[in-house]
Amino acid sequence: MDVQGFPSDLLTVDLGASSVTLRVDPATYSLDALYGAAYIFIDRCFVLLDKPDASYRVTLAWKKREPTTDELRALVGEFANELLSCAWRAKISEDSRALIESVTAQALGGAMGPPTLEELEKFDFSDETFEDPLGIAMSWEEKHRKKAQPDDANPVDGAKVTEATATREKP
Amino acid sequence: MTELRLHRELYQAAALEQALGLFAPHGTFVRKEEPSHWVVEITARTLERERRIAGELGNYALGLTVKGRKR
Repeated sequence: MDVQGFPSDLLTVDLGASSVTLRVDPATYSLDALYGAAYIFIDRCFVLLDKPDASYRVTLAWKKREPTTDELRALVGEFANELLSCAWRAKISEDSRALIESVTAQALGGAMGPPTLEELEKFDFSDETFEDPLGIAMSWEEKHRKKAQPDDANPVDGAKVTEATATREKP
Repeated sequence: MTELRLHRELYQAAALEQALGLFAPHGTFVRKEEPSHWVVEITARTLERERRIAGELGNYALGLTVKGRKR
């Protein structure tokens, strides 16, 4: 018996057994996706997985009273949607696996505490210093160093300034 | 008698074993092994009850298999 909206070669309905059987292509849907979708449906219906040939076969059987064709159609439609959702999530998870592992490794590395002296000795400091035109990497003392004044009692560069002033005053 | 056939590539043996232990009070179970399937023959008071036990047993074994794979 055909169900509206589903290809007849992928879906079989057995009203007598209150069940629908769906054929799933493993090239499109991974086993993890199939397990994920099946797990969500085991509280609503009896789910039986099988592998009669290269493809998977999913049988969804109604738990209690006899269902109508519309109810079976809705059930298998929701299962197909959930299967697609699980497959997509599995793909995203696979694609971002490297990034997640990298971030986790960095977090664990940071949690291990400061490096030891041995690790610091082995660390390569030979990288060139980065350009800092705005002085962001400068310390507060360097940035706000008091400007030298000629009459300062203890100017930062007082010696040079005084000497320069004295030289200028000479005729 | 109702026969439940679970594919060996899709259902873990340990999961089926655990499920059978749990459902033992609800019927009589005879477990057989085929090259591709685990086969469980279920006998209960009525055919309807056998169908329900077979369905719940399959669901339970599937749930344990999925949980077992996540670990």
